Amino acid sequence: MTSEPRSGFRYISRKRRPQEDRRFLTGQGRFVADVDLPGMKHVALVTSPYARARIRGIDTSAALGAPGVLGVLTGDELARATDPLYTGIHVPGVRRYPLAAGEVRYVGEWVAAVVAEDRYLAEDAAELVAVDYEAQEPVVDPEQAVLPDAPLVHVDQGSNVLLRKRWNWGAVAEEFAAADHRISYRARWHRSSTVPIETFGVVARWDESAELLDVWASIQMPKFPDHLANALRLPGNAVRVHFDVDVGGSYGVKRGIKHSVLVGHLARTLRVPVRLIEDRLENMRGGDAHGPDRIFDVSLAFDSDGTVRAMKMRALDDLGAYAGRAPLQLGKPVGAIVGPYTIRAVEYEAISVATNKTVQEAVRGFGQSPTNFAIEMGMDRIARQLGIERLELRRRNFIAADQFPYLIPSGSTYDSGDYHAVMDKVLDAVDYPALVARRDELRREGRLAGIGIATCLEPSGGNSSFEPLLNTRNETTTWMDSCMVRVDLSGSVTAVMGTSSSGQGHETLLSTVIGEVLERDPDTVRVVHADSLNALPSNSPVGSRMAIMLGGAGAGAARRIRQAVVAIGAHNLGVSTADVEYSEGAVHVRGTPERGLSWKEIVAIAHRKYHLMPDGMEPGLQAAFVWEVPGGGTLPGDDGRVQMYPCYAFEGHLVLAEVDRETGLISLRSYVVGHDCGTVINPDIVHGMTYGGVAHGIGAALYERFSYDPSGQLVSQSFMDYLLPSAHEIPDIRIVSHCTPSPLTTFGQKGSGESGYLGAPAAVVSAVNDALAAIGLEVNEIPLWPGALGDRIAAAEETGTGTAGNARAVPWAGPQ
Amino acid sequence: MEIKFNGEHTFPVPREVLWTHLNDPKVLTVCLPGCTGMEQIGEDVYETSLKLQVASVGGTFTGKIALTDKVEPAECHMQMEGSGTIGHATGRAAFELEEVSDSETRMVYTGTGDVGGLVAGVGQRVLGGVTKYLTRRFLTTLDKYLADEAVAAKGDGNTNPS
Repeated sequence: MTSEPRSGFRYISRKRRPQEDRRFLTGQGRFVADVDLPGMKHVALVTSPYARARIRGIDTSAALGAPGVLGVLTGDELARATDPLYTGIHVPGVRRYPLAAGEVRYVGEWVAAVVAEDRYLAEDAAELVAVDYEAQEPVVDPEQAVLPDAPLVHVDQGSNVLLRKRWNWGAVAEEFAAADHRISYRARWHRSSTVPIETFGVVARWDESAELLDVWASIQMPKFPDHLANALRLPGNAVRVHFDVDVGGSYGVKRGIKHSVLVGHLARTLRVPVRLIEDRLENMRGGDAHGPDRIFDVSLAFDSDGTVRAMKMRALDDLGAYAGRAPLQLGKPVGAIVGPYTIRAVEYEAISVATNKTVQEAVRGFGQSPTNFAIEMGMDRIARQLGIERLELRRRNFIAADQFPYLIPSGSTYDSGDYHAVMDKVLDAVDYPALVARRDELRREGRLAGIGIATCLEPSGGNSSFEPLLNTRNETTTWMDSCMVRVDLSGSVTAVMGTSSSGQGHETLLSTVIGEVLERDPDTVRVVHADSLNALPSNSPVGSRMAIMLGGAGAGAARRIRQAVVAIGAHNLGVSTADVEYSEGAVHVRGTPERGLSWKEIVAIAHRKYHLMPDGMEPGLQAAFVWEVPGGGTLPGDDGRVQMYPCYAFEGHLVLAEVDRETGLISLRSYVVGHDCGTVINPDIVHGMTYGGVAHGIGAALYERFSYDPSGQLVSQSFMDYLLPSAHEIPDIRIVSHCTPSPLTTFGQKGSGESGYLGAPAAVVSAVNDALAAIGLEVNEIPLWPGALGDRIAAAEETGTGTAGNARAVPWAGPQ
Repeated sequence: MEIKFNGEHTFPVPREVLWTHLNDPKVLTVCLPGCTGMEQIGEDVYETSLKLQVASVGGTFTGKIALTDKVEPAECHMQMEGSGTIGHATGRAAFELEEVSDSETRMVYTGTGDVGGLVAGVGQRVLGGVTKYLTRRFLTTLDKYLADEAVAAKGDGNTNPS
């Protein structure tokens, strides 16, 4: 596909109110909880209080006799009637069903479901379901879980290590041997997630005469209708997922496949519409939506001038009890494993381990933010060791603007970028010397203050190369998205998209790019969400892909409309298509504006006057476009080298933080982020993503954690214990924009849905470590809670040593 | 998650009286906070049902208490396990009764427990405090029970002047 001109856009990059705003701001959004079907019944869940236990028996008789109860379903019954849920990697011994069958594997796992006239009656009856458990010793610590004598989460799998891959890209051993210096360190990213205000919800209705299951769900999941049909043993065209449901926040986690299989099965067997909306506790402990939980052991080889030659990284990820798509989150970072740096050789070992914890799911960045955090911690360490200013050290390792397209050791080619230019802009915008002076002034007052820096990438245009990379049985090489554009008799333009939206502004995106191509006012373009039976293929808004993929598909379909309009116009003006000009929907003979046809006239010909159509042209005015991810389409090599994502957005963070000496409380004083995601389609939407992303990253760095006690009890199930940053904790965030267009996309756009989040945790830790350096202390695990940090500061100030209490550094275990 | 409790309390009754009361399911039903029933199902084994509220979590709980290593009237050990809508718990506790005087007895108690489920997940921040509170409420209710009984006994004497 050819590229549009990159400047002088009519609608793209211009400030324009998102089309969705009116609906949401006036309370007219239609969420799954707004779907109210006649005769709808409600589900309550019986959940496991044990991290690991055998189910000896379930007595449902009292619950079945309770008022208003239609049915009680147990795991054994459901396992007989359905197929196991999709698993992203090849682990035949790990079978996952919506309800536990025979054994529970984490606290909060669903054991039985009760359907009743309303939710209150269902919950009352659920309390009457008597489950006879035989408690067993759980495995909670991921480093214990890999040991040979650890209790097995899945006995049939024979090991808790569900995935272990090691790749060697480049002359790692030689670079390590030749380097002036080497360091090893550990970085610990504890379990957090995105926790949307709207929990997961699903409504299903079975139409017996049509043999069709209608599903409304707050879903953001690739190939969800297929997974649902497969698990329910239905043909794909017997499941109709309605994508016109607004999703109240997601950033990866709205993957309620188990909820939907359960509710679909209940609706089908009970012959009534059934609804399940998670309450907060169900969402937090049993929604299977926790994020990465990672231990990084990293070694870096570098020279005295600060050049980083090579990296060895081992990432141990605690998956929780089952493997959905979560293990693939170790694969995506392969596509940006060297960050924005010219590191020449990399050894990467990815290990997924099962434990008796809530199941991990995709979270914003799909594993990239933890990886960026681990890399950036190393850059700071090298800078400190060599006495090089931290941004200068990064600059010495940046891929330069004239090196693009740039092939990294693991096989991805970065499309474009100008990292120095972005950082120059950031330093200008923030008045860096003044920021340093402010920090030093705080220090003179006796405070612990520090400046944090993080520079990193957002791989975007979500492809699925990590599927075949981590599972050789999977030969997925396309991750297409699509759009259909129709022009009706009145000349109005309607675009149809085949997935639901969770706040990304897809309607604004599509109307803007279609308006741009057709030169028609985007506010007159209506965007509708199809259902899964009348949609063209989509892989859903994951991996920062929709500006690129849906935008590209919408532009492609619009271009076909434009070509048809030009062809009809030229035909009726009696000249060749090369001799006409298209202008705002009208067509005229080049150089003779008075000889032309209006948009309305051409539309009327297409819809009514077949005798005026060019020979062989189909009537009507509509076009479909299915777009493959640019640069995709190939399987990984045996060495694991693969083009992961097509586009690479850059962000550079600069933050001033203060650590309270007495309490360990961290406050952020100033925050600026430089952001280059190529051509921006809608500035307000992109900035909104970035603001939210920074706040989300600050949450991961300072507050948010799903904590487990040694017996596997989740002790942060509510927002009293799982702390979110509020407006009080988030400083004013300044965004500095830069545009290096991507050569691979229609308008030069890159993805931005993960922006901010990908660098904020690293930047906050960098700032805290700059502050703590004064007392010889360093932190390497997040979130940084004040209690533990305060104790360490007190200990450090007493003894003068700062290393006690850190997650211990473990030297790289692989070949040196 | 683990909970621990220990302490001591002095009751204004002789040791034998206290021992008898502590082994009487009727007395325990009245004095145990939230206890809705206690039934002997074997020698020194009781089944009990409780209705409890811990922080925002409320619900029912049924369990078994087994008394072991009884040294009448001085020492008793207990094992408990149970479960209900608010979660599950296992625990061990022991008490010793020491004579302070002919009419006063000191109870020294220790216990450890392990709780899981909703009460651990949601109530954990307040679990320590709630444990102390429930223990104290048991002791003060028993105090009052003993005092009421003494008043009633005296009253009996006064209204029966034969």
